[in-house]
Amino acid sequence: MMYSILKKLFLIIFICYVEYILAPGLIKLNIVLPLTFLAYSFYIYRSKNNIGPVEAFCTGLFIDLISNTFFGHNAVLFCFASYLINTYANAFKLFSYLQVCIFFGVSASAYVGFTQIIINLYNFSYLTLFVSTLFNILFCISIAILSVYFPSLTNRKI
Amino acid sequence: MARNTPTPGQKISYFLVILLGVFLLYLDINTNTFNGIKNGFSSFKISSSYLLKKYSIDQITELSRLFKSKDHLSRENKILKEQLDQSYLNNFVISREKSFFYDHSSLNKIINGNKFIESYSLAKLKSFNPNIFNCCDKHRMYIEIIQNTNKDIKEGAVFNETGIIGQVVNNKSFYEVMLLTDTKSSIPLTNSKGDFYCNASGSGASDYITCSYSQLVWLDNHELGEKFFSSGLGGIYPKGIEIGNLESIKIVDTSTTLLTIKLISNPLHSNLFGVIKL
Repeated sequence: MMYSILKKLFLIIFICYVEYILAPGLIKLNIVLPLTFLAYSFYIYRSKNNIGPVEAFCTGLFIDLISNTFFGHNAVLFCFASYLINTYANAFKLFSYLQVCIFFGVSASAYVGFTQIIINLYNFSYLTLFVSTLFNILFCISIAILSVYFPSLTNRKI
Repeated sequence: MARNTPTPGQKISYFLVILLGVFLLYLDINTNTFNGIKNGFSSFKISSSYLLKKYSIDQITELSRLFKSKDHLSRENKILKEQLDQSYLNNFVISREKSFFYDHSSLNKIINGNKFIESYSLAKLKSFNPNIFNCCDKHRMYIEIIQNTNKDIKEGAVFNETGIIGQVVNNKSFYEVMLLTDTKSSIPLTNSKGDFYCNASGSGASDYITCSYSQLVWLDNHELGEKFFSSGLGGIYPKGIEIGNLESIKIVDTSTTLLTIKLISNPLHSNLFGVIKL
């Protein structure tokens, strides 16, 4: 139990760090890639059991702390993502990979939109939002393709 | 196996938790309630990364340097670079001596006593998030004082060899610097003729600050490329330091005009800073 929590925390820190490294380069191309959000959404999607609101909230708060954003920002969005994915978990099985990728890409762009409103209101850019949406959908599709050709990558247990 | 969809009870708990999150968000945006926790975590992060670097990467680097014949040269190069940066800072202040100090005899004291370094604090960059700097409204950096004038430097103006970059706003463990481009930052400016004054705020975009004024109070005689200087009002930034050039003029409504000024200073230019408290 403790080992699993520690593993998740280290994974979150690592993904946050990767996002931190990638973001300055991508922002020059008007792209925001919410890697932590996508990774957590994917974790909820792949999970066999429902992820409770408290776990999603605490994870969000922890990410708020380590990424130096306003408290509650990621907590709320993670809870919302957790609720949506848990609600439609069974419906996803009827969808194709492409549809699921579009769902995750669009939810990531919703995350980007809310984030821009909260922390970057003065320079809110529709161009960034639009380009990020396209990029996030393509990113999700490329991950899905990777999982088809290299199933060992995505079948790992977290 | 099928997953259970959230029951009404779980939906209520989701709703309550989201409500709590929104409340926290509102509290954090409008008050400084969580600043202590954030600053504590920031200083912990900086200290631990510093210690980790010191006892791991630095040790390995030092060891590898011992085996390299160019070790001496690289160290000398590093020292020379630091001295060069320092001399740039010195030149920056000397060239603006008349406006940098209220007491105009300061330069004589410095020249005669050869104690220039004591006239301002020298600081080194500890932490800076280029990600936030390039994307968001809050532009902050953390610095560490390496040579102090023994003054309290809170609210001191921070500069590097390119010009003024911001002011010290917090002095818990490491000094937090609010950059001129931060949306909460404000710097009093004047033009080269001295017939126009305004408070420029950070735009949230790197390199730009904005200044809005009423056409009913000030004349509309600005030209693109016009130079703007610190006016010295407010007592934080020294008077007469060049801040930037007028990039664009936007008429917001019949009485308000917005000037966008491109800063000449760049906080990413070097890791060495000067902090001056007037």
